[in-house]
Amino acid sequence: MKILLIEDDREAASYLMQALDEAGHITHHASDGETGYAMASSMDYDVLVVDRMLPRRDGLSIIESLRAESDHTPVLILSALGEVDDRVTGLRAGGDDYLVKPYAFTELLARIEVLARRSSPTEAATSYAVAGLSLDRLSRKVERDGEPILLQPREFRLLEYLMKNAGKVVTRTMLLENVWDYHFDPQTNVIDVHMSRLRAKIDKGHANPLLHTIRGAGYMIRE
Amino acid sequence: MLRLADLWRTTTVRLTALFMVVFVIFAVLLLALISWQTSVQLQRQQTDSIDREARQLARLDATTGFRAAVEAVGRLSRQPGPGIYYLALPTGEMIVGNVSDLPAEVLAEPGTYSFDYERPQPLDAAETQQQRGNAVVRSVALESGLILVVGRDVVERRGFTAIVMQWFAIGVGGILIFSMLAGGLTAVRVLRRVDTIASTSRKIMSGNLSERVPVTRRNDEFDALATNLNQMLDRIEQLMQGMKEVTDNVAHDLKTPLTRLRNKAESALRDGQGEQARREALETTLEESDRLIRTFNALLMIARAEAGTPSGALHDIDLSAVVADVAELYGPLAEDRGLVLEASVGEGHRLRGNRELLGQALVNLIENALKYYEPQEGKAGRISVGLRREGDHLLIEVADNGPGIPAEDRLRVVERFVRLEKSRTEPGSGLGLSLVAAVARLHKGEFRIEDNEPGVRAVIELPAA
Repeated sequence: MKILLIEDDREAASYLMQALDEAGHITHHASDGETGYAMASSMDYDVLVVDRMLPRRDGLSIIESLRAESDHTPVLILSALGEVDDRVTGLRAGGDDYLVKPYAFTELLARIEVLARRSSPTEAATSYAVAGLSLDRLSRKVERDGEPILLQPREFRLLEYLMKNAGKVVTRTMLLENVWDYHFDPQTNVIDVHMSRLRAKIDKGHANPLLHTIRGAGYMIRE
Repeated sequence: MLRLADLWRTTTVRLTALFMVVFVIFAVLLLALISWQTSVQLQRQQTDSIDREARQLARLDATTGFRAAVEAVGRLSRQPGPGIYYLALPTGEMIVGNVSDLPAEVLAEPGTYSFDYERPQPLDAAETQQQRGNAVVRSVALESGLILVVGRDVVERRGFTAIVMQWFAIGVGGILIFSMLAGGLTAVRVLRRVDTIASTSRKIMSGNLSERVPVTRRNDEFDALATNLNQMLDRIEQLMQGMKEVTDNVAHDLKTPLTRLRNKAESALRDGQGEQARREALETTLEESDRLIRTFNALLMIARAEAGTPSGALHDIDLSAVVADVAELYGPLAEDRGLVLEASVGEGHRLRGNRELLGQALVNLIENALKYYEPQEGKAGRISVGLRREGDHLLIEVADNGPGIPAEDRLRVVERFVRLEKSRTEPGSGLGLSLVAAVARLHKGEFRIEDNEPGVRAVIELPAA
């Protein structure tokens, strides 16, 4: 995946570039807003990672300009401003996701990979299937190997989000944000409990589990 | 001290000056109008009386003969006053009268004339008396052929105007002086009051935050202002105090884990430990820094909530949904820990608020209840989460039947970083309840901890919209 990182902190940038490189992505780096905007509008990237406060031009204005030019490359905003309003402003400017500094690299990587996926056409799918597990968004039915599985509404949304991002790591905060629409930081393993219940419903009695815990990162559904 | 330049800069003096200018303009206009009207009136009266006299004399001449007229004119012309009388032969030679130098045309043609003339001097007159006069006269040809001239000296009339002008000037001058004085005095008074406020604020700016603006017993607008300023200062001082406490606490509670972090990293570097030990040290470091970040975030959130978010950040939200969602989020976790989480959420309670902060506050309360739960023989742990309306308040309640908080500690636990002795061993920043309190205050409500007999009942009471 080709990623453009617009970040003025050189140390953070070089750390991120190295880590993204290890994760198998090609990363370009711009250290100020003007250069970043020039690179983003002249080259094709799968994801832009934009710091909100940049020298010469701020991150939100870059995103607004790109969106005005009908450039819909997914954008992940990085910011030290973490209040709800800041997040709303960021997303309103055209950002697709918002990550507050300081963050764990696994969190950033998971979000980048999910974002890149978003720009592909599967967004509009009405049903998802992973191995024997299928989920129909319209009839709200879930089956595993033809056997219907009864899920609570919240469990359905959890599974829907996981299956939409099948093969990608989703973190606990991503789940809390996307399934519950809260951005706070739970200090307990509240998400894990929900996941273990979901796992019991979809994987119990099956030889090959589909819902995997990725240590130190989050969860993933795959064959 | 007060200087004249300062005085001139005050609104009072400037307004006074402006009013004075406007007043003088109006007064002059009014006087001009009055004196013009008066002079027109006087002139008409004069003309009328001249006409009347001329008619009477003409009638005298016509009925009784010219001798009577000559006699009458002679009598009139000897009387003191502004009257001008002149009787001449048809040739223009004077028979009787009190003026000598009538212009020729007055005698030549009947009509009304105005001219300068040599005023006749009374015998006892002083040297300096004005010699030239101005006359308005009417000349009439009498039946007997004589020419009668009757008129008035208008200098007297002018003198009247001059007197009015003089008194007017005195009056306006008096008013100007009086209003200047009044304006100046008011300005001095105002300036003094303002000066006390200014000097107080200077003292405060130079660091003495306990200084207050003196309030007099006059109860006037300045006292209202001073009272408001003092209230503002109280609030600022209180916030500064809070800020100082926060910094102190931050210094303490962030430095401790930072020191631990540093020690950990240092010892990992120094010791010739194996790969495994080094890895473990790094993991601890990471955990420790995550904890630090969390504490830091909680502090920021409290600060934001306490500073009062701009009203734009408060939206009409479905509080019932927030409470139900959070209860649902934590239900399974509670169950896993051997507790029952019951939710009784009244439907459709809405208010203007911040959904994230209210959610976080509720999470903190539930997490607290979970954290301090102690399993006991023969007693099922229970957390009940509720939302109901009581009068014009919405009550969010989280009650448990755990160990509870001693009455003397209930107020203290809401303060920042306060952690009761027995909870020191539990992970946490000690900021959870302070955040709840800050969120409650942000929504103009209050947070209190009650005895649930046994256990704790935490109540967030918010004014309903």
